[in-house]
This record gives sequence, C-alpha cells and structure tokens, in this order.
Amino acid sequence: MLWTEKYRPRSFDQVVGNAKQIKEIKEWVDLWIKGEKQQCLFLVGPPGTGKTTLAHIIGREFSDYVELNASDKRSYDIIKNTVGEASATRSLFSQGLKLIILDEVDGIHGTDDRGGSRAINKIIKEGHHPLILTANDLYSKRIKSFKSKCKVINIKKVHTNSINALLKRICSQEGVTFDDMVLKELAKRSNGDMRSAINDLEVLARGKESIDKSNLKEVGVKDSRSNIFDSVRRVLKSKNLPKIRQAMYLDEDPTLVMEVMAENIPREYEKPQEIQRAYEMISLADLNFGRARSSRNYSYWRYASDFMGIGVALSKKETYRKFARYTGSTSFALLGKTRSKRDLRDRVADKMAEKMHISRQVAISQFPYLTLIFENDEMAYEIASYLGLEDDEVKLFRKRKIKKPPKKKTTSPKKIDTDKLKSDGINSSIYAKKSKSKPKSSPSPDKKVPPKDKPLKRKKIPKKSAEENNKPSPDTKEKEKEKQTSLFQF
Amino acid sequence: MSGPWVEKYRPATLEDVVGQDHIIERLKAYVKDESMPNLMFTGPAGVGKTTTALALSKSILGEYWRQNFLELNASDARGIDTVRTNIKNFCRLKPVGAPFRIIFLDEVDNMTKDAQHALRREMEMYTKTSSFILSCNYSSKIIDPIQSRCAIFRFTPVKGHQIIKRLEYIAQEEGLDYDPAAIETMVYFAEGDLRKAINILQSSASVGEKITEDSIYQVISKARPKDVKKMIIKALNGDFMGARDLLREIMVLQGTSGEDMVNQIYQDVSRMATEDELDGPSYLEIIEAIAETDFRIREGANPRIQLEALLTRFLYKART
Repeated sequence: MLWTEKYRPRSFDQVVGNAKQIKEIKEWVDLWIKGEKQQCLFLVGPPGTGKTTLAHIIGREFSDYVELNASDKRSYDIIKNTVGEASATRSLFSQGLKLIILDEVDGIHGTDDRGGSRAINKIIKEGHHPLILTANDLYSKRIKSFKSKCKVINIKKVHTNSINALLKRICSQEGVTFDDMVLKELAKRSNGDMRSAINDLEVLARGKESIDKSNLKEVGVKDSRSNIFDSVRRVLKSKNLPKIRQAMYLDEDPTLVMEVMAENIPREYEKPQEIQRAYEMISLADLNFGRARSSRNYSYWRYASDFMGIGVALSKKETYRKFARYTGSTSFALLGKTRSKRDLRDRVADKMAEKMHISRQVAISQFPYLTLIFENDEMAYEIASYLGLEDDEVKLFRKRKIKKPPKKKTTSPKKIDTDKLKSDGINSSIYAKKSKSKPKSSPSPDKKVPPKDKPLKRKKIPKKSAEENNKPSPDTKEKEKEKQTSLFQF
Repeated sequence: MSGPWVEKYRPATLEDVVGQDHIIERLKAYVKDESMPNLMFTGPAGVGKTTTALALSKSILGEYWRQNFLELNASDARGIDTVRTNIKNFCRLKPVGAPFRIIFLDEVDNMTKDAQHALRREMEMYTKTSSFILSCNYSSKIIDPIQSRCAIFRFTPVKGHQIIKRLEYIAQEEGLDYDPAAIETMVYFAEGDLRKAINILQSSASVGEKITEDSIYQVISKARPKDVKKMIIKALNGDFMGARDLLREIMVLQGTSGEDMVNQIYQDVSRMATEDELDGPSYLEIIEAIAETDFRIREGANPRIQLEALLTRFLYKART
C-alpha cells in the first residue's frame, strides 16, 4: 500500500493543519445530520492539502456516500443518474443521508463532460442531498457559476513544520532512522503539499533502515511543479543554456507554452530587432509543431522546443533588469470573451454552408458582401428567408430589423416567372438564358404564361435532355427552335 | 425565394457552366455512357468545381439524383469518423433508379493525411455501387494513392470575357443599370473568381443606383477585412502589441482565415508601395516576409502565430 494511502487520516482529529476550517466543516455535518438542510460545501485549495481526505472523512459521518472524480466521465446524464441513484437508495435502505462528493470540479471538461456544470448547478439548486465539491483553483472559469451558491471553505497549504512532524511520525512508525535535515528539506520542498512530501519520503525510505543527506539527490524537485510562467520567465530572463534547457522540461502542452512565450516576448524585450528575432524563433517552432502534426512524426517537437527556448532566449542582446508582468495568451482570453459572438457567426455560416454548397470558412469569407447586400431591404428579406435566419442572426449583417415587404410588384414579370420555375425545381438560369435575346427579337406579350410543357419535360427526363446536348449538329437546330418557342412563351 | 445571386444564378446544367469548356466536353461523355470513374476537381475558389459536380451528378443520376447523391464538406465534418460513417451508410444501399450513386466530397485538401488514407479505403470498398467526386484547391495536398484512383480535372480561373458575359447576363435579368467600365472593374478585382465577381455585383446593386466604376471601388474597399490597414500602420509605427491585439481581434472575432489575411496584407502593402508610403528596399523585405509566411501557413503552421511573427517585420521598418 502506498504510504499516502496508509497514512491517510481516517478521522477529523488525525487531519494535519486547517484546524479552523475543520471546525466549520464539523458544524456543517452536524446540522445536516440533525436534519437541517445546508448549502453545498465547496472545498478549495492547492493539491495535497487534504481536500479529498476531508471529503471522505465527512462521508463516514453520513451513512453512505458516492463519489465522482476526474477520472470518471462527468456529463450531464452521468451526474444526473448517479445522484438520482443516490436519492433512490436513500429512501430504500436507510433513513440516513447519502453524501455526494464531486471531486476536482474545476477539471470538468467542456466537451467531454458536456452539461456537467449544468447538472451540478441543478443539484445545488435542488439541495436535497448533502453535496461536497472540491477544486484547486477558486478562480477557474468552470466553477464560476456555482461558487456563489456554495459555502466555500479555503483549505490552506500546510505549514512546513506540520509536514515535518508528519514525516517524522511516519518514519518512526516505519522504523526508519532519519537525519533531521533531510525531513526538513523534504517538508520545505513540498511547498505545503503533503501528498508529494509523503511520496518523496517513500521513494527515499521504503525498505531502508535509515536515510541521510546523500539520499536527497535521489528525489528531484518535481518538474511539473515549476509552472509555465516560471519557465517562460526563465527563458526570457536568462542566456544560460543549461538553465533554459531545464526550464523547457515542462509537463505542459508545448504549443501552450509557445503561446505564453510569444505573448510575453514584447512584454520583456524592448528592442524591435529582438522582438523580431524572437518571434522568428516562435514562428519556426510553430512550423515544426505543424510538421509534427501533419506527418504524425513527433520527433519534430525537439526542434520546436529548442527554437522557442534557446532561440527566444538568445534573441536578446542583454537581459533586462526590470519587472515585467506576464500574462496568459490574450488570444485565449479573447476566445472566451467572444464565445457568443463567434457562436452566432458560426451558426449563420453553417446555415449558408448548407444552402450554398460551401464550407463554413468560405461562408464566413462572404460575410462582408452580405453586410453590403443587406443594406437593401428587399434583398435582405429574400436572403434572410432563403437561409432561414432568425432575427438575432440578421443582426450580424444589419442593425435594423428587416421589414416584411408587402408582396411587391417586385421587378418584372420575367422575375416572377423564374421564381416560379425555381419552385418547380428548375434553375431559372436555363430559361433566363433563352430569354436573353428577348427584348430585341420579340416585343413579346407581357403576359407571364408559365412555360409549362417544355421545362417540365426537361425536368422529368433530364437524362434524355443531357444526351440531347451531347449530340452535335442536328439537335442544335431543334434546340434553336425550342429556344424560339420558349421565347414566345414568355 | 432564390437566395443570394451566387446561388440564384448557379448554373444547373453542364452546358450552362461558365468557362472550363474542355472539362465540360469530357464530362459530357460520362453522362452519355452513364458511367464515370472517380473524379478529382482541383483549382482555385470560385471557378465552378462545385457547380460542375452538382450539374454532372444531376445529369447522370437523372430524376432520382437527390436519393443517389451525397454531398459532404470534408473541412467541416467533425473528423474522419463522421465522414466515414456517412459514406458507409450511404454506400451500403443500392442505387435506386440510377446507374450508381455519387459522393461529392468538397475541400478534401483540408483533410489530414490519416483521414485521406481512411478515405482511400472507402473509395476502394464501394467501387461497384458508387463513384466519388473530390474537389480541392491544391492537388499537391492530396495523397498519391487517392490521386491515382481519380481522373484529375484541373479547373482554371474563369476568363475575363466569360465573366463579363455572365455578369452582363445577370445584370440584365435583374434589370440593373450599369456602366460597361464598371463590369470591367469587377472582372479586374475578381481575379478569375466568378463567385467573387457576382458578390461584388450584387453588393453594388444593393444600393439601388446605377452601377459605376466608383461604386465598385466603394464596394471593394468596404468588403475588405476591416482594420487590416490600421493594423499595418500600427506595426509600422512601432506599436507591436497594439497591432497584435488588432490581428487577434480580426482573426478570432471576424473569423478571417489566415489565407485571406495574407492576401489582404499583401494587397495593402503593395498599394502603400505604389503610393510611396514605403520605400523600395523596405517593400521588398516585407514582401519576402509575407511570401515566407504564406508558405509556412500552407505547410501547416498556425496562421495566427505566423502572422504575429510577420507583424514584427513591419516593426523593424518603422525604425528605418
């Protein structure tokens, strides 16, 4: 058994740190058990501070609990079903309350866990069940919607001394003699993360009788703990190759690292040449990511990593002695902020794509023309109804609503004809073409006799007509005749 | 209801297709034989690939073309799996009332190589019941095994006089009043892209007045992706962050594609050079950078990152 499991606290009094918070939690539990419904409990804090442990201890206070964590898929249906089950079993088997634990809710995935947040919101609102949520990041966008409706409890990092004491206790229970310095160092390195401290200790001490300073080298400072901004800062601030290389060992999506790096280049570098050279390196890195993607050959990544690490670092003449505030890529922020606008845009583009045999991208490239065309009421009305645009979608192209034109005398009888033909399933252009010489050749009667026979014939036996077209000379004459007759029909 | 003119005046039969005469002649032979191999239509935008595919399918499949015709846009479908399921479900059934079934796959060059390989299998499996028409802008982006299974037809930009004829015809149909010179101007800006030409025509017609050269110029300048010039000026003045923000806004919000951005930047820069806002050497250096950016984007890099890098090249010019 892993030591993190073995030494996981089983009751409130075994929990290290966060005494005040635990008191609050206990009150919450007591009130529920007395039968007073309480707000949902939201435990927020960094990893390894005991949120999940606390949730399980609380679970023991209730007669039973169910848990959904990040490894489970948490779509709307799944959450709904699990909770539904919880309430069903409650009424059947016990009069006690069943606790629901949703672990790491900030990790609910936008697409894979579609509707997950909605389901959680619903449960919170109903409030029939004691519910505990946990999350790392209080400011994550994903939890914004339910944060305000919960009793938020901030679980703090555990103090180094408390961790040190915990490690000592484990060592003595495992019968390992230790150097004080080592445990202190481990506690310090853990930065308030008890789980990683215990894990490190286990690596050092498991199966050994004693540990001392020389063992410390065996556990490296965790790479994943150096966050993306530390790495970016290292690259932008330094020209020391080994250090930069080290900084690029990062447990993050490398294209994300590239984005954050690019974002902050002009915040750190000031000379245009430096910005230009650094961005050229970003461009090359990006190019190699692209090659990796399209060829499925990920060995290109190593070049990308060097370009965006060493390449960017060496683009500066000297390191700047200043404090620059770094940010995440604003293009991601922009994506979030403009979501509804982009959804609208894509919805309209999809409607166009469907009707006009084009892709979404081509449809979007036609927006500027449509904006111009929509200035004309009649055209706007026609196109909007052709595409089936809703009022809010029309707004994409024009501010004013489109007035429904009273069935106007539109343009000419000719036009009505073509419309009619179109509704018969025939493209107007065929006839239109024939009528081209109309004004000159015949002062044709204005009566719009819909050309019933010929065109319909064409529609019903298109194969034949197509064959006709292939035959060269004799038929063309016939066609000429046909043209003539259809002219008169107009 | 007939929709925008690009759709309203889409030719329905092969002989009405504008331009591409050689191709149309050959395709008519397939109609006559009631059989055809897999086809690949390649060529730039707006030259009639989709129109030809639709017209061809209608004439071969006849009355029941709707039941026997499947149109898929490879770039929009959510991954190859949807494409494959759609194709599978469609091909599994026998053709009804037609010699075979036709699958029209648009923008195949936007499919990944893996997806294309998967597609190749589908093409082999259903040769008895179905034929494929693939369309793409660049045949070089299509894997060889697919190319070798298709008869390839290269569509060329539509010729000036053919565009003029079509525009005049539409103008007449719609009862428009126009200057002949206006039509010439449209043709100039359309660059062989008939869809663009018709869009320009309808945009200028929407004002409801006589269409003149001036009104065309107005449409052209209004229809440009907005703010691109502003972005260039910002970059030239050394405000890289401002220019970059603008770029992101244009691309993310307006949804302008990388390709369109490159085109627009190129046009704006070359106009600035002719209007003496940029000196010769600077102009050349920027063009070199634009060319490289264009190439890298086509190589599969992220267009936004590449364009951000391009903006830094303008920055340098501001100093000289």
